Amino acid sequence: MIRRRLVRGWALGLGLASAAAGAAPVPKRPPAPAVRPPKVKGVAASEIAVLDSTLAGADVEAAAKAADALGAIDAPAAHDALLDALAMGLPAPVAAPALTALALHPAPPDVTALVRYAGHHNINVRATALSALAMYADPTARAAVIAGLHDGAGLVRGAAAAAAAKGRIRAAVEPLFALLGRGEEPAARALASLADPDLVAKIADQLGKVPDATLAQCLGYILKRPDFGPDPARVEVVRAIAKIQDPAAINALTDYIDLTPKNPPRPSRGEAERLVEARLGGGK
Amino acid sequence: MTRALAVLATLVTFGATAGCHHATFGLTTSNDNDATALASALSRRQLSETPTPVGSTHQPRVYAAIGAPTRSIVAFELATGKPAWKVDADVQSRIAVGGDFVVELEGKELVARDQARGAVRWHLAGPGALVGAAADRDRAYAVWHSGTHFAITAYDGASGGKLWTADADGALGAPAAQGGLVYVPFFAQWMSILDGRTGTPLARLRGIDEQISVLHATSDNLYYGSKQGVFRLAARSATGTRAGGEYAALKVPPQLDHTSYGVDAYDPVQLAYTAADRARILLRAEASDAGPLKLKGDGYAISYFRYVFGFGAGGELRWAYSHPRVELVATEHTGYVIVGVAANGDVVALEPQTGAVRFRGSLGTGAEHVIGATFDADGWSPSSQSEPIETVAALVGITRDHDARFDRVKELAVQALAKLPGAEVTKELLGVLADVRAPQKLKDTVVDLLVARKDPSSLPVLTAQLGVHSDYLLRTEPEALGPVAKAIGGLAGAPLEPRQVSEALAALQSHLDAPGTATPDLVLVIAAMAAIGGGAERPALASHLLLYHADDDLGGDAGWDQAIVHALELHGGPGEHELLRYVASDPRTMPALASLIRDGLPPR
Repeated sequence: MIRRRLVRGWALGLGLASAAAGAAPVPKRPPAPAVRPPKVKGVAASEIAVLDSTLAGADVEAAAKAADALGAIDAPAAHDALLDALAMGLPAPVAAPALTALALHPAPPDVTALVRYAGHHNINVRATALSALAMYADPTARAAVIAGLHDGAGLVRGAAAAAAAKGRIRAAVEPLFALLGRGEEPAARALASLADPDLVAKIADQLGKVPDATLAQCLGYILKRPDFGPDPARVEVVRAIAKIQDPAAINALTDYIDLTPKNPPRPSRGEAERLVEARLGGGK
Repeated sequence: MTRALAVLATLVTFGATAGCHHATFGLTTSNDNDATALASALSRRQLSETPTPVGSTHQPRVYAAIGAPTRSIVAFELATGKPAWKVDADVQSRIAVGGDFVVELEGKELVARDQARGAVRWHLAGPGALVGAAADRDRAYAVWHSGTHFAITAYDGASGGKLWTADADGALGAPAAQGGLVYVPFFAQWMSILDGRTGTPLARLRGIDEQISVLHATSDNLYYGSKQGVFRLAARSATGTRAGGEYAALKVPPQLDHTSYGVDAYDPVQLAYTAADRARILLRAEASDAGPLKLKGDGYAISYFRYVFGFGAGGELRWAYSHPRVELVATEHTGYVIVGVAANGDVVALEPQTGAVRFRGSLGTGAEHVIGATFDADGWSPSSQSEPIETVAALVGITRDHDARFDRVKELAVQALAKLPGAEVTKELLGVLADVRAPQKLKDTVVDLLVARKDPSSLPVLTAQLGVHSDYLLRTEPEALGPVAKAIGGLAGAPLEPRQVSEALAALQSHLDAPGTATPDLVLVIAAMAAIGGGAERPALASHLLLYHADDDLGGDAGWDQAIVHALELHGGPGEHELLRYVASDPRTMPALASLIRDGLPPR
C-alpha cells in the first residue's frame, strides 16, 4: 500500500515526501452515479486483487477486460484499483476502458486522474477521459471539458462537446458557438441539448454567421428533444429553420414531422408541414 | 597571387615583344621602392593639413550621376543641404573633382564642367577607351587604352589642352591625383608616382606581398592596396611590404562578402558607378611612425547596400545603421562623418563612432534615380545635433528585412544582436523565429544564439513566449517552442530569480502536459525543466514518466527516453531513482526505456 501511495504521489506530481506521508488522495466511496452498470455484489477481495494484478500486467487485452470488470464492481477496493492503475500509467488500449470504468462510480478524487489523461497524447484516451469527466460537477472537470473544445483533434472536440452537453456545462456555450461556426456537428448536437428558449433565440440569430447546414442540424436536434417545449417555443424553432435556405433545413423539418405523431395536433408540426409543402411545392 | 603571376607572365611576354621601348611605365624603367625617391616625391605633394574639399571654394559637395528621367549631374551643397545645379549629362564614368571643374566621360568624350554652374568648359575625344580619370586643382588626368597600348595624358583643367602623355609597356589602371602628384597603377603590382605638371616619374612602389589594384585619394592621404588590405602612402611605403608599411587587413564579416576598400582600378566595369560601390570599407588613417595602419577613431565602417556597420579596430561591431527602403549607392568617410547618397536621392551623414545620424537631406526633385556619386566633402562635419543612436532598432530592421539578397547580413545582425544584453533583444530574436518569412537558416542561427546567449534577464521573455499554446478555436500554435525551451535550458547555472524560475517551470509544464506538443519539442521541454528546475521539476517529470512509460508512441521514442531518464537520473534524488527502478521493473515499460534505466542507474 505504501508503494501504491508513493506511485500515486508521483503520478499526481505531489513529490515523494507528501506521498510517503500518505498525502496522496485515497478514493472515498463514490456517491451514487447518474447511470450505473449492473452491480456486482459480494465480490471477494481476492477476486478484486486478481483483477488488479491483471490490470497492471503486460497482457493488454486481459488488462482492458480487467478494467471493465473492475468498473462493474461497486466496491471501494475496485475503484482504488482503477485509480492506482491509472496513476501508475496505463498503455492507451487499457487506459481508455479504465477511465470509462472509473467514471461508472464517480468520486471526487477521480477528477485529478481524469484531467491528467484528458491531456494524454493519444487521441482516444483524451476523448475517453473527457467523456468520463462529464460525470463530475467539479469545476476542474468542467474546465477540462471546456479546454477539450479547443483541442486540435476533431474526435476530442466531439467528445468534449458531448461531455459539455451531458454535464450541462453552460460555460461551454461560447466555445460551442465557435465550433458551430466551423460547421462542427457535435457542437450543433451539444448546443441543441443545452438549449432553452433563450439559447434557441441565440442559436437562431446565428443565421448567416455559421454554416446553414450546421445551423439547420442544430435547430433540428432541438425539435427532436422530447423535453423541449412548450409548443410555441417549438414553433419558433420551426420558423427559425424556415429561414435557412440550405436543403438541410427541409431535412430537419421533415425529420421532425416524421417523428411527431399527427395527434394530438401540434401547431409546430402543422407549421413545419406548411413550410415543407411550400418549399417543395414551390420547386415543382 | 595567381593574378600576380599571370600579370608577371604577361609582362615578361610583353617585354620580350616590345624590345627597346622607352615607355614611362615598364618593367625596368624605374627603381622600385626607392626610399629616397619616394620621400622626395612626397615632399612635393601639396596637401592640406586638415581634411578639406578639393574644390576651390572648399565647400563640401556631392556630384551625383542621375539615371532618370534624364541622365544628368546634380551638384549638391552639403553645408546648405541644397542642390547647386543640375545639368543634363550622359555620364559614362565616375566624376572626378578638380579645383574649379569636374571631369567625366560623357558619351564617348571626356568632358570638363565648371563647378560653379555645371556648364561644359571643354570636351575632347580620347585616343582610345577610357580606363579612368582623375583630377587635382589644375589638371585632369586620363588613362586611355587602345588595343594593348596604354597611356596616361594630362589635360589643363581650364582649357582641356594636352599637357603631357606617358606611355606604358603594359596595363595601366585608373589613376588618382592629389596635390600635384598623379598615381598610376601598373600591371597590378606597381604604383608609379608622377609629377602632375610634367609627367616626370618621381617614384615607383612595387607591392612585394600585396597587389596594388585599389587607389583612393583624399585631401590629406592616399590609400592604396587591394582586396586584401590597405596601405596609407607614407615614407614607410618604400618597403613594399605589409609588415614595413602602414598597412591593415581589416576584419570584414564573411556575411558582407564582396566588400572592398575601393574601386578596382583594373576593372573596366568599375570605370563607371556600379553595385560594387555599395559594399565599401570606409576608413581614415593617421600617420604613425611604426606599426600597422593607425585608424582614426580606432575603428572603421562598412557600407553594405542599405546598411552601414561601424566596427572597432579589432573587428567588433560598434553600431549599425539601416537606411529606410533604398540602398546607399555611394558612401565616403569625410574624416568626421560617413556620408552616403541613396538611390532615391537621400543624403545621410553618420557619426563614425556611434552611427548616430547627423544629417539628412535630399538631392531634390528630379534626382530620385541616382546611379552613383562622387564626394568632395573632406572635412565636412555637419551640425552636432544628432538623432538618437538606434543600433538595436537598425539590427532588428535588418533581421526583419525580407529582401532575400541580404539573408547573410541578417545572420550578422542577429549575431550582433545576440551579443547585446537585455530582455528586449531576446524578444526581438524570438520575433525572428516567429516570422514565417524569415529564412530557416537564419532561424537556426537565432536558435543557436539564444542558447549561447545565457542572459538571465531573458528568462521572463522566454517564459512569455511559452504562453501561446495549440488552440483550435483561437487558431494558435506555440511559437518556436523547441528553440525557446532550448534557450531556457541554456540558462542552467546562470543566476536566476526564483520567482522567474517558478513561472518558467509552470509554463514549461503546460507544454509538457499539452497533448499537441511534438516529441522533439517535448524532449527540449524536459531538458529545460531539468536544467533550471533545481528539483522543483521532479514531481511533474515523474508523473510524466509514469503516464507514458508504457505508451507505444512516447515510451518507444529514443529521444524522449533519453530526456526523461536523464532528467530524473541526473537531477533526481533517491526518490526519483526509486521511481526509475519501479518503471524499469514494470513489465509494461517499453523495453528500450527499461534497458536505458537499468544501464544508467547505479546498483541499489
